[in-house]
Amino acid sequence: MPEELLLEVKALRTYFHTARGKLAAVDGVSFDVKRGEIVGVVGESGCGKSVTAQSVLRLLDEKHDVSYEGEIRFAGSNLLELKQRQMREIRGNEIAMIFQDPLSSLNPVYTIGEQIIEAIMLHQKIRRKEAVRKAIELLRLTGIPSPEQRVWEYPHQLSGGMRQRVMIAIALACEPQLLIADEPTTALDVTIQAQMMELITELNRKLAMSVLLITHDLGVVAETCQRVVVMYLGQVVEMADVASLFARPLHPYTIGLMGAIPRMDSDRTQDLQAIEGSVPSLLNVPSGCRFAPRCAYADEQCRQHMPELKRDAASGTMVRCWHAGTLAEAFEATEAAIATETSEAAERAEEKGGVQHAIYP
Amino acid sequence: MEKAQPSLHLAKRKRAFGNRRRGLLKRLLASKTASAGSVLIIVVAFISFFAPWISVYGPHEVDIVNRLSPPGTEHWFGTDNLGRDIFSRVMHGTQISAQVGFTVALSVAILGLVVGLYASMYKWLDQLLMRTMDALFAFPAILLAIAIMAALGPSVSNLIICLIIVFIPSVARIVRSAALVAKEQTYVEAMHALGASQTRILWQHIMPSTISPLIVQSSFIFAEAIIVEAALSFLGAGIPAPMASLGNLLADGKMYIYNSWWMTLFPGFALIISVLAMNLFGDGIRDLLDPHVRQGKGKK
Repeated sequence: MPEELLLEVKALRTYFHTARGKLAAVDGVSFDVKRGEIVGVVGESGCGKSVTAQSVLRLLDEKHDVSYEGEIRFAGSNLLELKQRQMREIRGNEIAMIFQDPLSSLNPVYTIGEQIIEAIMLHQKIRRKEAVRKAIELLRLTGIPSPEQRVWEYPHQLSGGMRQRVMIAIALACEPQLLIADEPTTALDVTIQAQMMELITELNRKLAMSVLLITHDLGVVAETCQRVVVMYLGQVVEMADVASLFARPLHPYTIGLMGAIPRMDSDRTQDLQAIEGSVPSLLNVPSGCRFAPRCAYADEQCRQHMPELKRDAASGTMVRCWHAGTLAEAFEATEAAIATETSEAAERAEEKGGVQHAIYP
Repeated sequence: MEKAQPSLHLAKRKRAFGNRRRGLLKRLLASKTASAGSVLIIVVAFISFFAPWISVYGPHEVDIVNRLSPPGTEHWFGTDNLGRDIFSRVMHGTQISAQVGFTVALSVAILGLVVGLYASMYKWLDQLLMRTMDALFAFPAILLAIAIMAALGPSVSNLIICLIIVFIPSVARIVRSAALVAKEQTYVEAMHALGASQTRILWQHIMPSTISPLIVQSSFIFAEAIIVEAALSFLGAGIPAPMASLGNLLADGKMYIYNSWWMTLFPGFALIISVLAMNLFGDGIRDLLDPHVRQGKGKK
């Protein structure tokens, strides 16, 4: 079967019209999601990943003064050209979304059953009785124990993880082709996070549903996604499949994000690396490469000229950096050094007879 | 076994709902102000409903021979300058006041809800509606009411229309602000993401969170409407003269207050009780429905 494109975002620009002028929160973003694929969108807060996700569903139209440029192709039609009425047919039905905070994503005055039934009956003409049965089925599918009783409980009677499962059940109500998950695990504790991601990957496999996963957690991306889009200040800075991204990150921002993940095999006495500074405001976008002010490797060229998104010959990764090739080699060299160091340490420890204690003091 | 299940859950749901309602009633009775208010409301409602049967004399029965007779066994509250029975007139007056107050409170609640909700949803409509409401709000209630009554002419239904116009802004504002808070909740955004229409979101998901402030405000408007109605009648711009409204009774008594105090005292007392009942009830309801007030009380 040829790999079919489900969602294709082409040169998307999302502008907010504010009192201080027209701000491009998303500035020329292109990526695609194939059928049955999980694509991760990674970046710090304020890099435009949520705005990208909400642009796909055109959710910003309701609340803000926004305009779009570019194209969002979904199953043949350009979503940016649809009228609100047609857009409502897509929302929840073809593309569903789950939000960051499961605590406030459910209406406290209705039972979870009523909310799932509402979601079902919004797009499907079926009898209420049928919808009730389907709601219970959905709860069972998302792994909620004794769904027959849970279905008539109010959101406050459920734990955070349960509520996120309910949110997923609501999102699945009309069997969407694409699920947009906007930081679905941020508000949950670590063990529940793992369960949630497991559930999402399982549903992706079972229902052949594509997932666009918005996250700032590279660990989650490494475990679940097939491809990754790294965003910085409204632009795509790197785009690759997971294996090559982690083996050979090209953009200094990606390398920085990886440096910020605690690792089991690194030297524990060293401080965790962080990227200096924070994402600049959209009001004063730096000229040249947008990451240059925070980049340790930036030179005059970086500060003057914006690099284009180019394909790296070795790995096929798309990257927006003038020094991509040289940096990747440096990264690989240090990785190799760490690897030999750890294996040497392991050997030494083995000689002493306590491998685990030596590596993980 | 499988087939029995849905009805079982339905029963469970109904029971849960019943429990919640009983809980609310219990809490209502536990609060002193609310229960005092409720008792007074029941008394006032009883009197105004059964006024024609309780009183021996009609409210318009003139008895010139026994004019201005003090309270006694024959006329419990005495008679007025035309010999009409004050007891009967007070009861009929309470009836009219309660009718006006109830009709006004109910209509204002419904209209204010619609205006407030739609104002919260669309920006241009918000400007239009809320600026109109501001303009209405800028006038003192009595002055505005007199102006409207002068334009419409005196009658009970015109008075009700006039009071509705006067009181809509306060309800519309409260509903709007509650709706604006609810609108920012993630569950409203989630409903948009599910493809629900604006109208559906407005009535199904935003409206419920405006209900408790609406109920509280309406009970205060009930009381306020009674006062404004009495004031208008007292000034001669309210309910037309021969009818026994509390304001009319007070206006009649004004001339004779030095020698026939009963003509003023009893209607005044009836007015106080009706208004107090609604205010106590409103206070009690607010304490019940507003979790912030409830928490504050718990700490004390």
